[in-house]
Amino acid sequence: MKKYTDLEYLQLPKWKRLVYTLVCFVCAIPSGIWNFVKKIFTAVVGFFKAIGTECADIYFTFVNGDWKTRVSFVVMGFGSIARGQILRGLLFLAMEIIFVVYMFAGGAHWMGQLMTLGTRGPEKVYDPIMDVYNTYYHDNSFKILLYGVLTIFFIVGLIFTWRINIKQNKISQQILASGKKLKSGKDDLRSLVDDNFHATLLSLPLVGILVFTVMPMVFMILVAFTNYDSLHNGYTNNLFSWVGLESFNTMFNWTGDNVNYSVTFGEILSWTLIWAFFATFTNYFLGMGVAMMINKKGIKWKKFWRSCLVMTVAVPQFISLMYVSKMFANNGIVNGFLLDMKWISEVLPFWTDVNWARVMVIILNVWVGIPYLMLMVTGILMNIPQDLYESAKIDGANAWQQYTKITLPYMLFVTGPYLLTSFTGNMNNFNVIFLLTGGGPNMTDVPGVLGAPGETDLLVTWLFKMITTSEPAAYNLASVIGIMVFVVVAGISLVVYNVMPSIKNEEDFQ
Amino acid sequence: MKKILALVLALVMCLGLLAGCGPAPVDPTDPPAPTGPNNPTNPTKPNDPKPTDPTQPQKPLAGTYDIKVWVAAEIVELTQQQIADFNTTNDQGIIINATVEAVGEGDAATSMTTDIEAGADIFCFAQDQTARLIQAGALAQLGVAASEFVTTNNDKGTIAAVTSGENVYAYPLTSDNGYFMYYDKSVIKEEDITSLEALIAACEGAGRNFSFELENSWYIVSFFFATGCVSEWQTDPDGKFISVNDNFNSEAGVIAAEGLKKIVTSPAYVNSSATADFEAAVPSAVVVSGTWNYENAKSILGDNMGVAELPSFEVNGKSYHLASYNGCKLMGVKPQTDNKRAAALNQLVQYLTGEKCQLERFEAKGWGPSNLAAQASDAVQAAPHLVALGKQNAYSRPQGQIHGSWWDIAKLIATDIKNGGEIQTALDTYKASMEALFQMSDEVLKAWTVIGTIGDSAWANDLAMTEQADGTWKSNEAYAMDETSEFKVRQGKSWSNNYGMDDAGNPVLDGPNVTLAKLGVAAGTYYVVFDPATGAISVVAA
Amino acid sequence: MMKNDNRPTLPPQAKRSLGIKATNFISNLVIYVLLTIITVIWLIPFVCIVLQSFRVESTWMVGYVLPQKWGLDNYMALFETKFPVWYMNTFLIALFTAAGQTIITLCMSYTLSRFRFKLRKPLMRFMLILGMFPGMLGMIILYNVLKDLGMTEASSVPGLILVNIASSGMGYYVSKGFFDTIPKSLDEAARIDGATRLQVLTKIILPLAKPIVIYTILTAFMAPWGDFVFARYISNNNIDGMNVAVGLYSWLNLDQINSHYTMFCAGGVLVALPVTILFMCLQKYYVEGVTGGAVKG
Repeated sequence: MKKYTDLEYLQLPKWKRLVYTLVCFVCAIPSGIWNFVKKIFTAVVGFFKAIGTECADIYFTFVNGDWKTRVSFVVMGFGSIARGQILRGLLFLAMEIIFVVYMFAGGAHWMGQLMTLGTRGPEKVYDPIMDVYNTYYHDNSFKILLYGVLTIFFIVGLIFTWRINIKQNKISQQILASGKKLKSGKDDLRSLVDDNFHATLLSLPLVGILVFTVMPMVFMILVAFTNYDSLHNGYTNNLFSWVGLESFNTMFNWTGDNVNYSVTFGEILSWTLIWAFFATFTNYFLGMGVAMMINKKGIKWKKFWRSCLVMTVAVPQFISLMYVSKMFANNGIVNGFLLDMKWISEVLPFWTDVNWARVMVIILNVWVGIPYLMLMVTGILMNIPQDLYESAKIDGANAWQQYTKITLPYMLFVTGPYLLTSFTGNMNNFNVIFLLTGGGPNMTDVPGVLGAPGETDLLVTWLFKMITTSEPAAYNLASVIGIMVFVVVAGISLVVYNVMPSIKNEEDFQ
Repeated sequence: MKKILALVLALVMCLGLLAGCGPAPVDPTDPPAPTGPNNPTNPTKPNDPKPTDPTQPQKPLAGTYDIKVWVAAEIVELTQQQIADFNTTNDQGIIINATVEAVGEGDAATSMTTDIEAGADIFCFAQDQTARLIQAGALAQLGVAASEFVTTNNDKGTIAAVTSGENVYAYPLTSDNGYFMYYDKSVIKEEDITSLEALIAACEGAGRNFSFELENSWYIVSFFFATGCVSEWQTDPDGKFISVNDNFNSEAGVIAAEGLKKIVTSPAYVNSSATADFEAAVPSAVVVSGTWNYENAKSILGDNMGVAELPSFEVNGKSYHLASYNGCKLMGVKPQTDNKRAAALNQLVQYLTGEKCQLERFEAKGWGPSNLAAQASDAVQAAPHLVALGKQNAYSRPQGQIHGSWWDIAKLIATDIKNGGEIQTALDTYKASMEALFQMSDEVLKAWTVIGTIGDSAWANDLAMTEQADGTWKSNEAYAMDETSEFKVRQGKSWSNNYGMDDAGNPVLDGPNVTLAKLGVAAGTYYVVFDPATGAISVVAA
Repeated sequence: MMKNDNRPTLPPQAKRSLGIKATNFISNLVIYVLLTIITVIWLIPFVCIVLQSFRVESTWMVGYVLPQKWGLDNYMALFETKFPVWYMNTFLIALFTAAGQTIITLCMSYTLSRFRFKLRKPLMRFMLILGMFPGMLGMIILYNVLKDLGMTEASSVPGLILVNIASSGMGYYVSKGFFDTIPKSLDEAARIDGATRLQVLTKIILPLAKPIVIYTILTAFMAPWGDFVFARYISNNNIDGMNVAVGLYSWLNLDQINSHYTMFCAGGVLVALPVTILFMCLQKYYVEGVTGGAVKG
């Protein structure tokens, strides 16, 4: 294909630019992949090189170190304490002590069982004297996996700290050798609110994210490679164990005897994408329209209109959406009203017919979603320089032209990133689907698939059903779905980054 | 200094960790149980009175027990009262200190399977949850005497509901979970109530709806059982489903589906079992529902409320009376580790599900009893909704144990037919998904396997064996074993038929685990050989 | 786009003199009509819920909107159930979550907006990737972690607070966008005057960031009132550990709906009332927050 220069590119009509960008993107994929592989290769090589350098450094630190340094190899922080940096030293030491205590208190035990996830299930025992059956529990696969993973996190952390401890000794030694003074504990503390203030600010949020977001995600990704479900709950009935890619095989098997999962997955994924597309853009344009109406010069009671509409934002969705879902039921008040008015002769199957249900969730999502957009657009509209419109008017542009030439491009440029987040957010829009249809009506062409998938189910509601209402609850399959949601979202984001210039040119995607 | 931050981070995390797993690593190598599965523990309290303990003669269960009980919200107070009664009347010296919490029958099973440890010691649940609870290990099997108490005192349907294989797992609490028909006398004429076609026509004519929750498997059987179809599940003693005898995809099934089609394709059809439908915007004239909605239907319709058994439908000139499922609510005990406590809990549940308490619940809340003596009482015989249910019961079948996936499979027949699908296609789909539930063939059920701490078995995966010419079974692979290795041999991947070994090396059905010491060989790599005729287990060096 | 629907009907000359006024008048009229229709549609469900909550002749779902008998019985009945407990639980969760989440979010977003350090970009990229996993997956394991900490079932309130706060670092985008709009020259001037970074934050940035602080507090405070998925899983059907959403939702179960439906509506009104009033009062800041943050970000 022909490469355009910048000048040629700018002369192209808009749609051609987009096509060009898309084609460029597609053409760039092979080389992109190649670059990616190369990058990984370089990274791996670099990693081993770095380890080599580190090892060499550790070795020389030991060889060249004084006795304080050498003791620090075993007793962390010893060097620092001996050289007067009590605070640092104590922190190192505390870390080591906690680690040792933790390992003895159970860490080592959990680690050791990580490969098997437990060997001994519960035992049911009959006691003839009391005439009762008792159950004795032994290994707990769930905890082994959970605390095993935590222990690995911990060990990595310790190795990292140990390395820092060694480096500290080396640096201190050098500083002292050059005749300078070491930083005192006071200096360290002061730097926490000044030079290293960012570290102070980030420490708490990051610990929270590590423990309550990263760790669960790592765990759940691992679950995809086990047979963890409610028949193997790891403790009270059967232990679960590693099964490799079996769950992925179940989910994406499209040649074997049971293709129902892959068919269901395909159907739900395509509906999820269709839904996300319509949910995002109907909200976007209608919200913009409503905002422009309210903000038009000469329209009064702006605050009143706005306040009425934002009711849907303020009232919790489980109340409003639950009620609306009942209103549109086959014997609900909407159908009753239409029948009374003789506008229809038979009830409209709002939730029981596939097409109706799909259209209805999109329409009702507008009801919930427009106010957010309205609030946001209101602010942006005020930011558009008014003289743009004035000069457009002088040039004789009508309102539609003003909209397409000024308002829309400005909005698109400013809200580009928002559109992307909104799209991925809608892919995971649990509340609207779950509260309105519960995923229904049922899919009839894929029998035997766990989680009773329905025609309006999104991947995320299907995942939820798999965990809660499915019988048996298939945590491993749910985990596979979760991973696939990630892959899809990440893929879309990647494409959009590369195609949409306004996002790409941001300092960061934030 | 960044390094110091890393340190702080790590420290904070460790503290979190310690807090998190402080109590966690209870040393699992020291269980309160004996070594092999199903090896009875030594009773700590013998049945005979201890002469050395004169204060509590003949009362081995005496003591105070702190327990947690889950019952439906409406009977919380009643249950507290009944437990208080039990404390004063029981002659065993048992004092129950109970926390009674409102967790409905529908939620209890979910809560139990989510977290058994934190679950209640005694809980109520609907019978369709039995197998799920057994499989989750949330129900303690009843002892011999307790099983007998259940089977002699309750009606047949409820006994089927608590039994899996031969084993009994719970106590029946009610026997009124069936469905029949509520109708509005101002719309439906008396002569129409026996014919489904007439009812549909009356509803359509009056612009009223017909509520029948057929997109729920519990109600859809109504048509299939009417034409003589069966769907019966067999479970093994561990609550696992072994096989199903199901002929929905048959001539009779097609007739049933024809009848089903009449109602689901009618504009009057509403997939619901709520009696509030009588007062909906498009009101129903007929609602198929159960006893739990009696008060509600009565307060909406007043004198216009009619209660009747289900109608008949006609296909090819032949009439079929709609059938139903006859279900019940049950009370179960969570598996315990303390014999004495387990026995005391069973005493309490026997009291709570006995004749007296069931009658109390009937009087207070109208719950239909499962206890035979309670059923025979005059008051129960006179209750109108129970009378209607009783009439319908002539056409009902006990629910028994049903595979959890079936509930999602059978309902699709109605959805499919409603959407205009071919009857035969819907039934074929049904059959295909039923067959997919049982991939375990006869061959697998008969085969013997090794399970234990050898190979990658981990007491969870069965290691395959092959039958030899001489009738013995030999493992397909040789496994490395040492002093700590333990294993057993079982049939059909189920513990219902398994062999272990005593210390002398003799085969024992359901016995302790096999070890190398018992076999008298040193560590090495061995094939496992098993003789089904004698139960003898041996190893052969690779 | 609706503004000029009527435009072609006017002759071009008319546009000059009286035309502009007339066009404006007609287009405004059309807009008023449209806005009225939209507003009515928007409010119908809420009006219905309120009306249902005052219906006392029956407690189940019915097909008419206007009550036959009016009264406060449903509201009174709420106080004989666990509703006050649920309300208190939710209020506590909302309060502490709002406080904690605001602090965490501000720390995070301020740092990422103002400081340039080695791990900044990798960190932001990592969080972006992390955010692409559906959070629902973590539910099972968080339940177990909280259980080990004794924060589930009846005592799930601290558990929910902990999880809400701990995971709030992920949602820094909006406020970071806002901080990006505050000129950096302010910081630098203060630094030159000898202020530590802590002083820069408390003395200079925070006063300017009032809208985003209020926005964060508001969103953090509102979210727990509608959380019925995670809260339901953590409380595991324990009636004392539920929040309002889970508790009210449980009244829609088959065995409760006939006797609790109007109470559900009344409870819904009581939940929606404070949240809505708060939202209406602070709407101005909300708008500043989303436009300043979401858009820039």
